[in-house]
Amino acid sequence: MAFFTPAFFAAALALGLPVYIHLLKRHKTTPLPFSSLMFFEKRTQSSVKHRRLQYILLFVLRMLLLALLILAFAKPYLRSTAIASAAGNRSLVIALDQSFSMRDGKRFATAKAEARKLLDSLRGSDRVQIVTFDSQTHVLTDMTIDRMKARTALDSAEPTDAASSFADLTRQLRVLAQPVQGTLEVHLFSDMQHTSMPASFSDLELAPNIHLTPHSAATTGEPNYAVEGVIAPRHIYDPKRARIQATVAGYNTPPKRLHATLYLNGKSAAYRDADVPANGRVALEFAGFEAPYGLTRGEVRIDAADTFVQDDHFYFSTERSDPRPALFVHDPRDTRAFLYFRTALESSNEAAFTLTAAIADQAANLSVAKYAFVVLSDLAPLARGLENNLREYVRSGGSVLVLLGRQSGGRGTVPLTDLALSSARFETPEGGRFQTVTSVDDSHPALKRTAQWSGVKFYQTVPVEPGTAKVLAKLSSNSPLLLERTLGDGRILIFASPLDNIANDLPLSSTFVPFIEQVTHYLGGIDERSSNYTAGAYLDLRSAQTNAAEAKGGVEVVAPNGQRALSLAESAKAKGLTLAQEGFYDVRRPNGIRELAAVNPDRKESNLEPMPGETLELWQNTGAVSAKQGGSSRSASLTEPATVDLWWYVLLAALLLAIAESVVGNQHLSQEKEA
Amino acid sequence: MQRFLDPKTLATISSLDLVAKTVVDGFVAGLHRSPDFGFSQEFAEYRAYTPGDDLRNVDWNVFARTEKTVLKRYRGETNSQLLVLLDTSASMGFGQAPMPKLDYARYLAASLAYMGNLQRDATGLIIFDDDVTNYIPPSTKQGQLTRLLHAIEHSVVGTHTDFAKPFLHFQQFLRRRGIVAVISDFYEQPTTIIKAVEPLRYHGNEVILFHILDQQEMEPTFRDSTLLIDMETKSSMEVTPEYSKTEYRKKMKDHLSSLKTAAQGAGLGYFLMNTSRPLDEGLREYLTLRQRRD
Repeated sequence: MAFFTPAFFAAALALGLPVYIHLLKRHKTTPLPFSSLMFFEKRTQSSVKHRRLQYILLFVLRMLLLALLILAFAKPYLRSTAIASAAGNRSLVIALDQSFSMRDGKRFATAKAEARKLLDSLRGSDRVQIVTFDSQTHVLTDMTIDRMKARTALDSAEPTDAASSFADLTRQLRVLAQPVQGTLEVHLFSDMQHTSMPASFSDLELAPNIHLTPHSAATTGEPNYAVEGVIAPRHIYDPKRARIQATVAGYNTPPKRLHATLYLNGKSAAYRDADVPANGRVALEFAGFEAPYGLTRGEVRIDAADTFVQDDHFYFSTERSDPRPALFVHDPRDTRAFLYFRTALESSNEAAFTLTAAIADQAANLSVAKYAFVVLSDLAPLARGLENNLREYVRSGGSVLVLLGRQSGGRGTVPLTDLALSSARFETPEGGRFQTVTSVDDSHPALKRTAQWSGVKFYQTVPVEPGTAKVLAKLSSNSPLLLERTLGDGRILIFASPLDNIANDLPLSSTFVPFIEQVTHYLGGIDERSSNYTAGAYLDLRSAQTNAAEAKGGVEVVAPNGQRALSLAESAKAKGLTLAQEGFYDVRRPNGIRELAAVNPDRKESNLEPMPGETLELWQNTGAVSAKQGGSSRSASLTEPATVDLWWYVLLAALLLAIAESVVGNQHLSQEKEA
Repeated sequence: MQRFLDPKTLATISSLDLVAKTVVDGFVAGLHRSPDFGFSQEFAEYRAYTPGDDLRNVDWNVFARTEKTVLKRYRGETNSQLLVLLDTSASMGFGQAPMPKLDYARYLAASLAYMGNLQRDATGLIIFDDDVTNYIPPSTKQGQLTRLLHAIEHSVVGTHTDFAKPFLHFQQFLRRRGIVAVISDFYEQPTTIIKAVEPLRYHGNEVILFHILDQQEMEPTFRDSTLLIDMETKSSMEVTPEYSKTEYRKKMKDHLSSLKTAAQGAGLGYFLMNTSRPLDEGLREYLTLRQRRD
């Protein structure tokens, strides 16, 4: 028998109190000489003896009661192999690591064979549960004595492309240990990568009844080169300007020159030499390659010649397309705004648009439907035909940027909208009065990367009554600077100042180019989100901006293995998909847009360095520590006996004693009262 | 003057004769003048000389006229003998400070001896427990008081009490009529006591029993259950406070009552003396008895 909280035995000193009261104090009677006992009777003495007996009984009961209470607080428990075997509850969990790194060499096969060997060595009454884990833990069987079921589950396990997480495994083990009476033996078959450790060690704390036995499939960190990452633009409009950056890393490696090849749609497009320093990384850049049109399956591959070849390449996807036309409509007297706007657009890394300028009168005859977006720069009242065309254009999904200035200020409303205007506020630079931007909605796609608004001075702005429009930026006068208004399926952005470098100094500020780039990408519907994902990531199939009609449409996803990733029912309703496999997912969204999602395993799996033995030992002992905190200790034996808590029984005995004590005490007191 | 007779005061006096003198003188000085009491030289009677009488008491004038030797006797000299029986058994050693029962009994015996000597009675002393340990024959000789006081002072606590044996022995010493004062705690059945003491009465003696008891014996108070050891038999018994408060007192009261009744029935004087009470009450009892004899 052992105790979880033996410190409570210090309270045994309290037992001295009743001893002192009952024996030392109350019975400290010295014999008293008396002249004659002829008037005392024997029965008096017997009464005293009887009472003393009762008194001693009361004393013993109280002592026992105190002792039992102390014993109960010390939480005694029995560890008995006999009990364990009698109950037949030796419970085991076989946890098999199926993360990406287990693909290295024969790691997974070795781990699986060892697990099978352990399974075969179990006794008939032993119960076993099979779990596998990578970034998530998968419980393959319940706790069972059916060996065939366990063996089938074990055989079905295959390595995945996800990273392993010991924290998630530990969390799941704690759940599995809860219903288990006695010790839960966990046998962990893994390569024990230290990169699988959580940031906080406390996440590895095992339950007190878990005894962890690691079976490492790798003892040392093998040298491994890997393509750590690739940064590629999602859209390539001009192959001459396109840049693809790759990072090659070496883990536990000597310095080495590697050859890196860029493959586009399976064809080699460029070569680079990568001088990888010892245990370090190097960045490469591919440029000037000829990219094919349409969605392209890209890959950067190195000739590392190491055992772990699965991480010697990195997939990415990009889309080659021609720049789309955009229309800039301006007043014949104002050519400055167009100049600044075009220059900014061409300065962008991705020349996604070719800008066409037109004066207001010419624009009335143009077919605006072919343009990705239209800019209306400080125009007086539009010709009725142009305005009707633009309205129809926006309703069908087009986008318009309206720049307000001296000319448009004379109108009563913002073009294409019913937002009211007051006369333009003109302030000259000589006057020294200007406004600044006080608030910017950074979450909006048009303003996401435009941080430096504070230094921009606005001398001329046109106050707009926002009405139902969404205000994206405000000036110091609290009047809106940038608003968004939807019309049909399209959108209209309203900027309350012209871009002529007179009404403001925005064209000369560092904010201008990214602002124009963001705004045009937003208006042109260019999705800037990366199409590269890490294995195990979640792909949103129906974004919040999807309209109702599109929401009802089906989603088609073809997995890297060429099979449909979603069933028919799922394709109609699924909101997302977990990208579990390495490779390319071909996604066709409800709105008809096609996307190629490149999925790569988490590159922290490439670092094969196992965790230090001390760390592993610490992890094993977390359960023992928590058990000790509960007042016990445990050994790390496979045949660890079961633990049976006894404090319940002790407490029950104490309760019975308390009842007996009150009965005897009442009798004692009643006799004293009678006396 | 009563303060001189208070046992607590007497306990501070070391000399027994001084104690006796203090008690008796204080007692006598406090008495009312009475013809029946006193120590004047008032003539009482002539009595024929018998060998052994003190020649100093012969009335030589009468002898000159009649050639007869007669003794001239005065009032207060009519009694001839006082015999004090002092029990020194172990139980007499009981008592609370400052006055154990034996001390009280010794003061009483000394006071009686002193008073007897003052009355010119032939005063004797028998000290006994289960046997006679000391005997001083009654006498009026000079130095008798000193002998008596010396014997009383050197009396020590003996063994247990046995009335039968010493009292049988006393009868041999009682040739003349007189007063017998028995000082004891009488831890015996009343019938046994009376049976032992009663024969003394047959010789015409006046017998008075001075029953000496401590307050703790009469009304014992114990806070807790106490283990009592019999001072004579050495047997032990544990008693509860409740018993000592109730049943014991009842038994003691019954015992005192029966002893008094039995003593009076046998013509014996009985006087209960609580050691916390002044000694003069005992002396008054003695003098009352002496007057009755005159």
